[in-house]
Amino acid sequence: MTDEHRTPVSLTGLPANDPHLLPAARNPELVERVISVCFILGALCLAGFGACYWIDAQPWKLGATLGGGLLFLGIGIVAWGKYLMPRGPFVEERHTLANSDADRQAFAAAIVERGGGVVQRRKLLGGLLGGGMGIFGIVVMFPLLRSLGPLPKTTLQHTDWRSGSYVVDQTGRRVEVGDLAVGSIETVFPEGKENSDRGQAVDQTVLIRVSNEAFTTMKGRETWAPHGYVAYSKVCTHLGCPVGLYEQELQLLVCPCHQSMFNVTNGAVPQFGPAPRPLPQLPLYVDSSGFLRSQSDYHEAVGPGFWERS
Amino acid sequence: MSDVINTQRSKKQALGRYGRIGQSLDELDDRLGVARGGRTFMDKIFPDHWSFMLGEIALYSFLILLVTGVFLTLYFIPSSALVVYHGSYAPLDGQKMTQAFASTVNLSFAVRGGLLMRQMHHWACDIFVGAIVIHMARVFFTGAFRKPRELNWIIGSTLLILAILNGFLGYSLPDDLVSGTGIRIAYSIILSIPLVGSYLAFWVFGGNFPGTSIIPRFFILHCLIMPLIIIGLVGAHLFLLVRQKHTQFPGNGRTEKNVVGSPMFPVFMAKTTGFLFIVGGITALLGAFAQVNPIWQFGPYDAARISYAVQPDWYMGFLDGALRIWPSWSFHSWGHTIPFEVLIPAVVLPGLIFNFVFVWPMIERKFTKDNAIHNLLDRPSNVPVRTAVGVTMLSFLGMLFIASSTDVLAKFFNLSLNTVLVAMRYLTVIVPILAFPITYRICHEIQALHGGGRRKTPNVVTRSSEGEYSATPSPRYVDDVPSHLEATPVPTFIHEEPEESGDSGVRVVDR
Amino acid sequence: MDRAVLGPVLAEVGNGVTSPFFKRCAALSIVSLFACGPVLLFVGGAQAAYKPTPYQTTRKNAGTPNSTMVKKNSDGVIIAYGNSSITYRAPSAALVTLGEALFQQNCASCHGTQANGVPANGTAGAFPDLVGLGPATINFWVDSGRMPAANPRSIEANRRVPRLTHDQALAVSAWVDSLSPGFPLIPYPHLKNANVADGAALFALNCASCHTIEGDGDALAMSTFSPSLRKIPSIEVAEAIRTGPGNMPRFTGNLSDTQVDDIVKFVTTEIQHPNNPGGFGLGGLGPVAEGFVGLAFGVGVLALVGFWVGERDD
Repeated sequence: MTDEHRTPVSLTGLPANDPHLLPAARNPELVERVISVCFILGALCLAGFGACYWIDAQPWKLGATLGGGLLFLGIGIVAWGKYLMPRGPFVEERHTLANSDADRQAFAAAIVERGGGVVQRRKLLGGLLGGGMGIFGIVVMFPLLRSLGPLPKTTLQHTDWRSGSYVVDQTGRRVEVGDLAVGSIETVFPEGKENSDRGQAVDQTVLIRVSNEAFTTMKGRETWAPHGYVAYSKVCTHLGCPVGLYEQELQLLVCPCHQSMFNVTNGAVPQFGPAPRPLPQLPLYVDSSGFLRSQSDYHEAVGPGFWERS
Repeated sequence: MSDVINTQRSKKQALGRYGRIGQSLDELDDRLGVARGGRTFMDKIFPDHWSFMLGEIALYSFLILLVTGVFLTLYFIPSSALVVYHGSYAPLDGQKMTQAFASTVNLSFAVRGGLLMRQMHHWACDIFVGAIVIHMARVFFTGAFRKPRELNWIIGSTLLILAILNGFLGYSLPDDLVSGTGIRIAYSIILSIPLVGSYLAFWVFGGNFPGTSIIPRFFILHCLIMPLIIIGLVGAHLFLLVRQKHTQFPGNGRTEKNVVGSPMFPVFMAKTTGFLFIVGGITALLGAFAQVNPIWQFGPYDAARISYAVQPDWYMGFLDGALRIWPSWSFHSWGHTIPFEVLIPAVVLPGLIFNFVFVWPMIERKFTKDNAIHNLLDRPSNVPVRTAVGVTMLSFLGMLFIASSTDVLAKFFNLSLNTVLVAMRYLTVIVPILAFPITYRICHEIQALHGGGRRKTPNVVTRSSEGEYSATPSPRYVDDVPSHLEATPVPTFIHEEPEESGDSGVRVVDR
Repeated sequence: MDRAVLGPVLAEVGNGVTSPFFKRCAALSIVSLFACGPVLLFVGGAQAAYKPTPYQTTRKNAGTPNSTMVKKNSDGVIIAYGNSSITYRAPSAALVTLGEALFQQNCASCHGTQANGVPANGTAGAFPDLVGLGPATINFWVDSGRMPAANPRSIEANRRVPRLTHDQALAVSAWVDSLSPGFPLIPYPHLKNANVADGAALFALNCASCHTIEGDGDALAMSTFSPSLRKIPSIEVAEAIRTGPGNMPRFTGNLSDTQVDDIVKFVTTEIQHPNNPGGFGLGGLGPVAEGFVGLAFGVGVLALVGFWVGERDD
């Protein structure tokens, strides 16, 4: 069945009974019958596709008929080309791509001498044009870049948490100090921002109750977690995924994206994984009505690092 | 009146030797002058080794992407405006979501054939990038990128980058939970670039994350700008291929100065058209039986929601893996932060890899000092250094790809997640380093093998009367006589001078 | 460590905030009754405080826990959250004797004959004190087969074929509860009127981060993992949410009974009987599985086809 032992011949000028023009199959009639069956099956499958579409059949039936039809037709066509058409092998010459030396010289001459001559003669024009094109190249980028978006300024440095913001859950309900039991976790937002895009993206905070008494995660944060409610920014400091995975026995907040693990009890310091910085902690207090509120905004920018982040 | 054609035979004669078709072709040639070029084109010889089919897989899956993609653009709404979904899928009924997501759910459940088109589009993309990779590997390992084909190599490498990027843009369009997380990660990667990161991120996204501009912008990029560039580059890629002619493996009758194979018309056209249908058929069958990207199960994207076990599509896996295993190096001084734990794996590393890929032909030329034109391919085992370099690079990328599924590996093999991750950190360095000398060694062993890598022919074993056994290779079929064993006899009824041709095995019969 | 103190903690919390809290709630309900009148009687509860958000449905049923909706017993301990989507029942007292016998046979060797735990060689908490944990906790661990533990020293007890039947598990929890009654009681969710779309949204926010959005579970930190939700009865889902077993956090005041009911309905319908119109679900592993299928069955098969279409040489 293979052709590599036959001498390759050129296509032009072959006699009609040349062995290279014979089909490759040992038994062309049998192959022809097989291919006909393939074509008939293919046509039937494609007709089936039409029918399935007409009656709004399930997607798998649509795909199976379409796929089967294309497959049968394809196999038939390939078999026709491979087994029934002239088996060859045929040969043709490669012409060198490179032109003659004379042509190359003339080409180079046209560019260098003609072009160079023009520029040499009108140096001032060339220089001015160059300058103009340079300016054009620069200013043409302006609408493309600047109109696309605003300047960041300090938007990345702050969230919407303020001094006295009520801590609310995603339905807008204020969190009270009796809500969570030890070992509970909730996603919270500053009141009024639980609906907004920015609220979802930047202000999102996890509220975890680690104990019943005030909890100190680090030195200087003694008042930050009243009644055991610690609040950390939910935006991972690695690449910004929400860190919603809390394991209460291991006391770890795990980021689902790249598995950075933050220790809940010591200020969300990363114990493992690619995150470089602890999750910022939100200082909380409980007001006289028993609602949880924030003492202030986060003391540092939340989320992944960027150049201006000090 | 004698000029009137009034008999069947004279009518037929008036049409010419090739009938009506011939007449139409004459008319065409009058206007366009295509006769000679057309004949040359149809006589073009294509080497038909099976490894040359891999590029065609990529080309035809791209065609399927275009066709199914047009269908999808008719129904997809690229808008971040919020709507309430009321449709047949109960878990989403009454939920607020972006119009992009809602239209994709609608496309999947309410449009006839919509789910099939969506799935075919997604599978065709997976196959497209996969085919580019193995095609590129074939070109690399056989040395087809050498002079005069360096430009084609660069075009092809650019196509790989564009295909990966367009795939990412495409699966992010539905704005579901899984791909939205990917967009968040992309935002943070742009943010991490020193000096200009925050500006670039705000310009690309039109503000802070997520904003409302990103989905429409991705749509225009994915459906208009990138396909135009890809189509242009594919056209240039194919044009160069036709102009420079395809390479071929050395063998019977094959030299640097010829091409051996099948003619374009009808053999190659038949095979390639059939292959197009088969690629379409396999894609349709995958689209029918294997569910992919079931965005209705993921739900709409919400910046506060996240799912575990989120990986990007496989061709972005090497980036995700690099991000997972990279240690948390971060520079933080003098009022500025440079997050190297993001910058190096997501920006620097792919930049280095792709630059290395682009300039490889130049590197190889410099080291081998080989500036000749090459139309014959190398057997990979005959160029151990290049093969080893290629295997090293592939194993490095492969390890990064495996590293993106650390949690799935830990679940499957019941290991600690931390152990798997630490192991991947070491393996990603050790495996490629080991791969180089092992591959080099294997290549040399194959070279040393008599007839290594070649198909075995049957042997005729004869026993002499003294009892000595001798084996001679025996051709399988009567006319499969290797030409180098005996001179081709010239038939006696043709009188011609034998050609003084240096190329063995090529017999040009003059008519 | 935390499970053991659930009951007393709730009691303490309830005590701590009863007085001004209760007065305020009473005042609020009186004012809102006068302000909204009969309408409130129909829609139930302080719906005026509820604002639908873009990422949840507009159906007004969230019934989020606030002071008027939470039911407390005479000690001020919360016994139900929100309206009556879930009925909490203590196991029948008639099962106590059977439960004691079963406990001594199956559990006492680790947890002690009085169920108050046995510190084992410095691993305090390895065999925890079960007294006062509430029947839902005990029932969850035994009914799901995690207890009796296959490997008491492992970091996480795996679910396996339960050694005790449903009734036997109830009996054990009845006996342990009789030592010192605790909460929560065994939850029986009423799924008929639950809203599966609300459940989907709540699942995505609260549960998907560990259990994956498909509900298949995955490996978490160290050697812990979140189990698959594909084969869990509805009572166990509710128990797990309310009691927070092992490393799973507990959801008490942050999810109302209606919300838990919605999540249970979502899990038992969509997660456990997914509608996969596109074909085989590929194990719900997402892009990892898709990549393998695409490369093996897509590119691989096509490369093999190319092997047939093209020629070979030697």
